[in-house]
Amino acid sequence: MGLPNASEDLSSEMEVDAFRRLFPLRYFERHLAESIRPDARSLSRARNTTISMGAVASADGSALAKIGSTTMLAAIKMEVMTPSLESPDEGCVSIDFHMPPICSPLVRPGRPAEAAPVVAKQLSDTISSSGMINLKELSLVGGKAAWMVYLDIYCLDADGALFDAALLSAVAAFSNLQIPTVSLDDGKIVMLPEEQKEENSEKEPVNKEKRKLTLGGIPFSLTCILHKNYILADPTSEEESIMETLVTVVLDSSNQLVSLYKPGGAVLAYTSAVQDCIALTRQRVKELHQILEEAISGMEID
Amino acid sequence: MEFVSPEGLRLDGRRPTEMRQLRAEIGNVAKADGSAVFEMGNTKVIAAVYGPREVQNKSQQMSDQALVRCEYSMANFSTGDRMRKPKGDRRSTEISLVIRQTMEACILTHLMPRSQIDIFVQVLQADGGTRSACINAATLALQDAGIPMRDIVTSCSAGYLNSTPLLDLNYVEDSAGGPDVTVDKVIYVDFALNGRVKASVLWDLWLYFGSYGLKET
Repeated sequence: MGLPNASEDLSSEMEVDAFRRLFPLRYFERHLAESIRPDARSLSRARNTTISMGAVASADGSALAKIGSTTMLAAIKMEVMTPSLESPDEGCVSIDFHMPPICSPLVRPGRPAEAAPVVAKQLSDTISSSGMINLKELSLVGGKAAWMVYLDIYCLDADGALFDAALLSAVAAFSNLQIPTVSLDDGKIVMLPEEQKEENSEKEPVNKEKRKLTLGGIPFSLTCILHKNYILADPTSEEESIMETLVTVVLDSSNQLVSLYKPGGAVLAYTSAVQDCIALTRQRVKELHQILEEAISGMEID
Repeated sequence: MEFVSPEGLRLDGRRPTEMRQLRAEIGNVAKADGSAVFEMGNTKVIAAVYGPREVQNKSQQMSDQALVRCEYSMANFSTGDRMRKPKGDRRSTEISLVIRQTMEACILTHLMPRSQIDIFVQVLQADGGTRSACINAATLALQDAGIPMRDIVTSCSAGYLNSTPLLDLNYVEDSAGGPDVTVDKVIYVDFALNGRVKASVLWDLWLYFGSYGLKET
């Protein structure tokens, strides 16, 4: 009695939920044979995505991004620092990704999740190589003062496609960023609340005109799972745990490839698979771009 | 500094016995057994409950009751200046302990032996009263998870500034240096006392305002 036969015999007698838990791979393959997934999506469709700007009132820029149930909260805080000697005209961006234990039953307090540092590194590499942020814009007084941008992303619910949601929330938070006004007071930079601008203005470098960053090529991403001959876009955490081969493609808004990431996995990605993934990502970039534009214009009306 | 104007209004326009606006939502975290978001004015807290489930550290397993664990942490961006160490500092450890002891007293742990109930609380925005908001959020999350409890636990803070007892302090009032008290109805009472205040005043403060605030919550 080989294993495939056993499940065949039992499938007619068992409840759906029990079959899903005991034979997850067969459960999914039965769906894939009909070109559909258990949550009724087609293989190439991503989950419902929403972005809400300004989620954290005390931060300089923030956004909450949801892809299906995966929820990421990104917030930016800015501080003034002395730039390094090698790059005296540039500021600095520091990206931190946290997975607190609330996000998933698999994360234990005291033990950081395995996925957290991986996603953090991927994020900082992607954002720096996409050229979205021009570090020279973050300089205040050449050689003496520059902005340090702290971006903190918290995962509030981990249901697959963590990198996609994190990147989306980071990009949305940068779009929402308002640089605080500062003035030079006896050689020290002092943060100003809105009302006092007129009193203290000995020298207001960049600040009155440039409250928002100009964003270069904005990166968007899509994670796909490869399983036998199927390519599934935007996996849930259940799908990710059963079928382990993931490919993440990051494109910028002009459809240039920013990064391609395939961390091992049982399935080898031949050229055709990679090209299919990139094609799926291209479609997804259009959708995400639209969603981001709507979120930004929604904020501006307010 | 004047925290209560001569007309009796506080810095944010509230009366001394007025609470901030309360908002609650449950079921936000799909993966958790129970979850809730609780807002008290600008303080926003999210709580998630996982359990009852298998004990992760077998040496801590209790054969006659459930093990309750709690972790309190603040997001880096939750306070005015960015925090460097959101977990593991003394204040977070103390508050984790307070929440755990409060909830442990209310959960009917003897009904779920050899299991573990995890309560995780994350502060997203801090504007005073985070301890109270966390306990309220944890209660809602436990209810959402269907865990049997003796009663609902509600919590509220109160303080004393400019010779006036005040209910539900925000960050500015909390850091002003007067005494303040967090009252959790049902079992546990927590006092944080700074400065010199007569014992009788403190007792009156606790009885009157604590219960008043709790009725509203």
